Amino acid sequence: MNSKESILSNIRKNSCADYEMPDIAVAAVRYDDSLQQFIDMTKTVGGNAHVVQVDEDINDLIRSYYPEAVNIVSNLPEVTIATGNPDVVAKPQDLDGTDVAVVRGEIGVAENGCVWIPQAVKEKAVYFIAEYLVILLSADKIVNNMHEAYDMLQFSDYGFGTFISGPSKTADIEQALVVGAQSACGVTVLILNHR
Amino acid sequence: MRIGLFVPCYVDAVFPEVGVATYKLLKYLGVNVDYPMQQTCCGQPMANAGFEQKAVPLAAHFEDIFQGYDYVVAPSASCAAFVKLNYPRLLEGKHVCQTSDKMMDVCEFLHDVLKVEKLPGVFPHKVSIHNSCHGVRELHLSSPSELNIPRFSKMRDLLSLVEGVTVVEPERVDECCGFGGMFSIEEPEVSVQMGTEKLDSHIATGAEYITGPDSSCLMHLQGIARRQNKPIEFIHVVQILAAGL
Amino acid sequence: MSTKHTKAASAFLSNKSRAQFLNQSIWYVREKRDKVAMQLAEWEELRELSSSIKRHTVTHLDTYLEQFASRAEANGVIVHWAKDADEHNKIVYDILQQHGAKKLVKSKSMLTEECHLNNYLINKGIDVVETDLGERILQLMQVAPSHIVMPAIHLKRQQVGKLFEDKLGSEPGNSDPTYLTRVARLHLRNEFMTADAGLTGANFGVAATGDVVVCTNEGNADMSTSLPPLHIVSMGIEKVIPDYRSLAVFTRLLARSATGQPSTTYTSHFRKARPGCEMHIVLVDNGRSDILANPQHWETLKCLRCGACMNTCPVYRRSGGYSYTYFIPGPIGINLGMLRSPRAYSDNVSACSLCCSCDNVCPAKINLSEQIYSWRQGLDAIHKADPMKKIISSGLKYLYGHPTFYYMGLKYAPLINRLPRNILYNRLNAWGKGRELPTFARKSFSEMWKKGIVR
Repeated sequence: MNSKESILSNIRKNSCADYEMPDIAVAAVRYDDSLQQFIDMTKTVGGNAHVVQVDEDINDLIRSYYPEAVNIVSNLPEVTIATGNPDVVAKPQDLDGTDVAVVRGEIGVAENGCVWIPQAVKEKAVYFIAEYLVILLSADKIVNNMHEAYDMLQFSDYGFGTFISGPSKTADIEQALVVGAQSACGVTVLILNHR
Repeated sequence: MRIGLFVPCYVDAVFPEVGVATYKLLKYLGVNVDYPMQQTCCGQPMANAGFEQKAVPLAAHFEDIFQGYDYVVAPSASCAAFVKLNYPRLLEGKHVCQTSDKMMDVCEFLHDVLKVEKLPGVFPHKVSIHNSCHGVRELHLSSPSELNIPRFSKMRDLLSLVEGVTVVEPERVDECCGFGGMFSIEEPEVSVQMGTEKLDSHIATGAEYITGPDSSCLMHLQGIARRQNKPIEFIHVVQILAAGL
Repeated sequence: MSTKHTKAASAFLSNKSRAQFLNQSIWYVREKRDKVAMQLAEWEELRELSSSIKRHTVTHLDTYLEQFASRAEANGVIVHWAKDADEHNKIVYDILQQHGAKKLVKSKSMLTEECHLNNYLINKGIDVVETDLGERILQLMQVAPSHIVMPAIHLKRQQVGKLFEDKLGSEPGNSDPTYLTRVARLHLRNEFMTADAGLTGANFGVAATGDVVVCTNEGNADMSTSLPPLHIVSMGIEKVIPDYRSLAVFTRLLARSATGQPSTTYTSHFRKARPGCEMHIVLVDNGRSDILANPQHWETLKCLRCGACMNTCPVYRRSGGYSYTYFIPGPIGINLGMLRSPRAYSDNVSACSLCCSCDNVCPAKINLSEQIYSWRQGLDAIHKADPMKKIISSGLKYLYGHPTFYYMGLKYAPLINRLPRNILYNRLNAWGKGRELPTFARKSFSEMWKKGIVR
């Protein structure tokens, strides 16, 4: 018997109880203004959230948030200030040194400031290796809570996706919160199509 | 309604006035209360130490003594909780367990069964409530601070009926004092550290008395207060409720 | 009458400022948990759901594991099954060897601690780099973690500063946490860039889709798996959950319970290997399937490894992780240690005042205190109960079982009040180590009743 069979047969032999799957119908939190809650939570977790006005250009906004950025990486056609494209690098290590990566988020979660980002670039390193991350998110894709998010989330063929809530952080030294651990030191969510 | 009064071993020996206050208060409230002799201990000390089997004869004896009463009332939250939660298991197959359903701590009994609305006493002092763990988390005398449920406190409700009492609670409102039965002597350093911090947090409220439903916690805190020469008094809740009787 | 935990805790408490620092730091995390828990009206409902989902999953573990493995394999992920720690370590090493991997970056995994993976690989010439900041600090110090979520919580910044000076060439005397974190960032960035393989744990394995879900605040699991071409996942078999509807419940509870955050910064779903790369999952049993047969303790398999129980535990906060003999401390550690080996880890069973606070914070509603009580009952049978406790318990049984002797005891007890201090308070009097003895009443209640004094 190989290990798989041995483990499975041990499980079957040993199980001493039987419980049914519960009905997962919880009256989860809903917000009167989920957009505002998303903005507030993004700030709470150390990120910026900016509702893009009709007369604002995202490229100008990115410049204004990160004026010293030199290497701006994105595969989004609307990011005209991009100096590099993560889809054409030879290897993911080449993305080290990225000052700002601009990516698209598909779902925003109001209860915790999470943005669901299904991989849409050749090298997912771009989501984690840049000093700063800018996420473009459409206002009509903001949901109340994780139940709603998980009900609608989709993957791309790359088979990777991540919820990102604010910049990377740690409190491992004396519980002192430090923003900017191994990944983005800052996150800005640009909220588009708000009416 | 016939009530059997259970005065736990250490209350009998160290805090008999708590038993007296309980008896007087129940009588004042018109309860038919009796104290059957030959009672000794509920068995919790051995059980918490890991020898619950040694408590089985005590449990059987307890059942016999308190047969025929409608309720068994004790001025000790941890003893009441122990009987309620453990006797059915300890007596399984050996003895019909009835006391588990009948067992109540005196605060529970006054609040939930008698639903006391008036008390005659005056106790013009500031008291800090010691929310004993078994009282809070096993007998539901107050809402545990960990749970997201509506806040309530049966002891606050009862104490508010006594004129002149000012009720406060320490920070970390229901953190354990560190008695834990034999824990207090198996891990004395941790136990005393927990007790010292708890004592200090009660003292920080400015209260004159520390009060609670469990004399075991109070005995532990009092032992520390005396050793550290910290001036604060200790009194069981039922003694305040019985003030003037 | 003292266990190894008693002695270690006593030593820990002798450094008063260190003890106070640990207690405050960890209580603060409990407070943060309380704050976010009270913000969700549905909090207790979520805990109940989490417990029910886990009970169902764990009692149908074979079905869900098979589903998980076949989905993952359909996604091109290579799934291995390890009966025990040794097999797990060997599998991981074989995978690394097949790829000629020499440097492994890893994110935090208590399972790999359980299996002693790091030492195994290091002995075989693999450069293993912990990338969680707390774990990396401890690795450089060559000590074990003291908490399962905040491994370095017991350290002061000056200790970290000195360590980084020695090992990473940081500025002498600079112990500012932000500066030190930046130093670590640069150091670890270099490790990520040059690693041959990345190993992560798994917070959840979703059976319906084959996703491995890893939650971090630092982004180190993602950095470990976005650069090197090989990703290995070490996953305990109890980590499998049915589907995304379940996952929503758990992700709402996990970070709130662990650190008081509404979510970890990163909740990453690994479904496939990167193009041209490989992803492996090693499913590890190591005693878990045996735990299923234990009617009193199988519910420990519901554990999410959040650490909330140790944050609230008044004994953990005053003794620290190193006072426990098992690598996982606190309430869940006491139980898991006894499941691993009752004889080896019985010293931790004394580390509990049975306050039941842990039961109330556990997001999976494991009956931790009841289980610790139950282990305590079993200690005598394996000859691990302190003889003094047995003697006292037998003595009490006799005394309380014979009311005549009990009443006699009550009558003479007040004499104790008059004994000289040097007799009463000696090394044998554990109560007296920090407390005055209670004063025995001259007349007990039962005596007063008998004399008709109680009216």
